[in-house]
Amino acid sequence: MEGYAILAGAALLAALVLRRPELAVAAAPFALVLALGLRLARDPAVRVDLELAADRTLESSRLPAKLSVRSESGVDRLELLVDLPEGVGVADGDNATAVRLRRGEERTLSFDLRCEHWGVYDVGEIEVRARDLLRLVVWEERLRLRRTIKAYPQEQLLDRLLAPLETQARAGSDVARTKGDGIEYADLRAYVPGDRLRSINWRASARRDTLVVNERHPERNTDVVLFLDSFSDLRGPSRSTLDDAVRAAATLATRYLDRRDRVGLVAFGGVLRWVQPGLGVVQRFRLIETLLETGVEPTYTWRNVNVIPARILPSKALVLGLTPLVDPRFVAALQDLRARGYDVAVVEIDPIGVVQPESSEAERLAFRLWLLQREILRSRLLRLGIAVSRWSAGEPLEVAVEEVRTFRRHARLARV
Amino acid sequence: MLRIGVRAGAVAVVALVAALVLGWPRLVPLSLVLLGGAYALYLAVDDAPLDAAASVFAAGLLVTAELAYWSLEERDAVPAERGEGLRRLGIVAALGACALVSSGGLLALADVARTRGLTVDLFGAAAAAVTLVSLALLARR
Repeated sequence: MEGYAILAGAALLAALVLRRPELAVAAAPFALVLALGLRLARDPAVRVDLELAADRTLESSRLPAKLSVRSESGVDRLELLVDLPEGVGVADGDNATAVRLRRGEERTLSFDLRCEHWGVYDVGEIEVRARDLLRLVVWEERLRLRRTIKAYPQEQLLDRLLAPLETQARAGSDVARTKGDGIEYADLRAYVPGDRLRSINWRASARRDTLVVNERHPERNTDVVLFLDSFSDLRGPSRSTLDDAVRAAATLATRYLDRRDRVGLVAFGGVLRWVQPGLGVVQRFRLIETLLETGVEPTYTWRNVNVIPARILPSKALVLGLTPLVDPRFVAALQDLRARGYDVAVVEIDPIGVVQPESSEAERLAFRLWLLQREILRSRLLRLGIAVSRWSAGEPLEVAVEEVRTFRRHARLARV
Repeated sequence: MLRIGVRAGAVAVVALVAALVLGWPRLVPLSLVLLGGAYALYLAVDDAPLDAAASVFAAGLLVTAELAYWSLEERDAVPAERGEGLRRLGIVAALGACALVSSGGLLALADVARTRGLTVDLFGAAAAAVTLVSLALLARR
């Protein structure tokens, strides 16, 4: 618009100065278009609404969205841009489009979103730009509609879980080491008054000429505390250790809860986050929502497990550490928990794919030394009775859990 | 003078191409002002009674400006509805035709009024001033 005004003004002025009517004639169309455009321009009165099919989704899954627009006075060209945050992309359709709306007309535009990564995203920012028929006047507005998507971590393949050394008192799916009412056969013993008749093992009784009863292992539940390292996050171009740890934690939490075990969470790092062990579907959502908030808050202060409330770490609980084994504070916390008698196992989120040696000889040597230090650290944890297995995102989590299970099957009692 | 006019025209074309290539909309009016300046120089040198091609030049200038701004708008690459381009082309063509007719009429009026002396000159100057003030008022609205 400024351009046309400058042109018309300059030409009219030149016409007056030079006394040439041709220059006024040249200015006339611009003045006419300006006058017409300004006269016809009116506020488009646009109303925009963004509707998401759900406010929760899985990472890498499609989430349908609908953008509805309505103009009370009509608009010749309405440009809409749904400003997506980093990590959210368009799977199908366009998040930027231009439409023409007649007076009172309403349009609905559909597209699919995809969260590339777990987390909480705000997708409610929409840029609206309306242009009139002669493209002279532009209305611009940035709307904040506050639409939040919670992208849950994608679950890993995992069939068999790690059984804790000791079970709790409630009924569950784990075979307890103690004897009581259950399904799994444990032992035989002599009948005593009060034993149920159906416990009598008639074949064994016939052989021994005295009544013998079966003893069984009861099925009990367990307490599992997922102990997540949020001191450090090693990031590469395609993956990060914290992302992988959160995915593994979400999978483990879901599987243990499916078995009616109580699951708790401690995110141990710059900011301490915890969820008290609990059961059920609500607990699953509570755990995953806490995992979504997990991030690395840099801190230089030394932290130990004393800062964790006692009710978060019940006795006989299996503490399952998920860590890249990089920060000494987290390693010290694992050793401290083991020294306090907790059943501790570690799934090491392998940082090797993320950390690569540089080209120089000194840097390659430093990398090898770092790898050796990690080996020493692992063997130190193993000597304490803490099973350590390495897991990286490309491999099934099942393999890492099986590795821990194998170690625990053959491990001897450690003196700590 | 003529050489200066030719140079101004060449600079105008370069400025227009630069505006389109670099995506700088502020160069568009500059190039058009330069083209107008070259035309004014041509009129001053030629000193013809009344240039009959002025209305064609005016319409051409407007169509050039519209096409240049359209080209710059397309850089945003917001996918539009089908037929949007044809409709815009129709609008530009209609504007060009309107510009041709209105400037032709104005040129004819100027031809009639040219020989009527100082009163008509003053009337023309007042009309130009009123046009400028009206545009300023509309822009402030």
